[in-house]
Amino acid sequence: MMKGLHVHGVSHAFDGHPVLDNASLTIPAGELVCLLGPSGSGKSTLLRIAAGLERLQRGRITIDEQVVAEPGTHVPPEDRGIGLMFQDYALFPHLTIVDNVTFGLSRQPRHRARKRAMEMLEQVGMEGHAGKHPHMLSGGQQQRVALARALAPEPRLVLLDEPFSGLDTSMRAKIREDTLSVLKQSGIATLMVTHDPEEAMFMADRIKVLSHDGRILQAGRPADIYYQPVDEYVAMLFGHMNLIHGVVSEGAVDSPMGRIAVDGIDEGRAVKVLIRPEGFVLTNGVDGGVGTPVEVISTHLLGHSSIVRLRVREGKNMGAEFQVRVPGSFDAAEKGRLSARIDAHHAFVYPEG
Amino acid sequence: MVELSPSFELEYQPIDNDHRRLIGIVNQIVKALDDGRVEECAVLVPDFVNFAKKHFLREEAFLKKVGYPQLQKHYHHHRELNAKMDTMVRLAQTARDSEVARESLGKELVFFLMDDVINADLDFKSYLADKGLIEPR
Repeated sequence: MMKGLHVHGVSHAFDGHPVLDNASLTIPAGELVCLLGPSGSGKSTLLRIAAGLERLQRGRITIDEQVVAEPGTHVPPEDRGIGLMFQDYALFPHLTIVDNVTFGLSRQPRHRARKRAMEMLEQVGMEGHAGKHPHMLSGGQQQRVALARALAPEPRLVLLDEPFSGLDTSMRAKIREDTLSVLKQSGIATLMVTHDPEEAMFMADRIKVLSHDGRILQAGRPADIYYQPVDEYVAMLFGHMNLIHGVVSEGAVDSPMGRIAVDGIDEGRAVKVLIRPEGFVLTNGVDGGVGTPVEVISTHLLGHSSIVRLRVREGKNMGAEFQVRVPGSFDAAEKGRLSARIDAHHAFVYPEG
Repeated sequence: MVELSPSFELEYQPIDNDHRRLIGIVNQIVKALDDGRVEECAVLVPDFVNFAKKHFLREEAFLKKVGYPQLQKHYHHHRELNAKMDTMVRLAQTARDSEVARESLGKELVFFLMDDVINADLDFKSYLADKGLIEPR
């Protein structure tokens, strides 16, 4: 038996408007898969279908080899062995923290349920708050309780819908790190939905990227999605890209910063080259800079990194502008005369049209 | 250990048998990684890749023979998987010196096989059933 979640061929529509198109995925026990996509891409719909909150229209869903949904079969959510965690925590305000966690254990004797609830609160570091009510806790603490409640019944599958998007930036990194640790210890298959690529990169063993029309565009390790995006849409998920238009000639395309190798696209074909802001190597004159001479238009310190806007200084591409990300702060005056070249790992070439 | 459990069966024996063989190799690789016999991956991963490529060709010939209307799409999918297998080979080459590569290799092989290969092949199960080539349960 393959433990975990198996989704095959799920298509779904609301009022005739398709939101999922033949979506399939597999999550072995102990692994975490992220559905990454914009609003309206059907990712939450797929999670809700897996949970049984939405009735499946087409396809099949099995959890630990039990068919829980296919046309004509709908196992209710409470019988699927799932743990759910949402953005808004969904704790009962009138119950104490321990009673919130005990709530999903109603099939167990009360003393055993309470013991299990306390174990789970301990696992998420919230045992000291057992007697409090939700309004007495911070957002991050409430999310920890929500995780404890989701895991307390020992589910076969955990479903997380944008679980960290309601948290402050300062708290989010810590909570997601702790959540990932607890989920990995549990050995349970986890499906997480997010629109935040960085969150998906951090959490996922595998990412599935959904398009606007509910198709799975790419599946792979976070590194595959980042370094080998299958198309412009996937590449653009991670933010701003520098764009160059060109034509394939002798297996490469010209750019203002040298030729970029092209693989698998016909000669003479019009292409666009997308380059991540971090895909530039800057050197100064003192280092005998290799590359195209550039001048700095502006710098913007973001904390861990800086955005530097550059303009090509010479040659036929003079005036072409690029947005570059560099680690830490960047003092243009201190750097002197600069040259730039493109790091091929961060440049992606796709046919136009 | 991975198995070809019922929800992943096409119920067309030649292809199911190929999938079982691939699962067998993946299980050997995962066991070797777990047991610290990392050097065996240098042989087992290429075995997996070679057998997977032969499987893709056999499957494409079969689907062409039975007139599967989505053959081009499936063919294209196989070409993408060939590129993904290059990653596996690279991971196997670095597995001896990198714990991250070892962990990534085991995970990615299971995902690749169960999700990218076998789950994707279920797309043509209903076509084979319509053609009377299998009798789904």
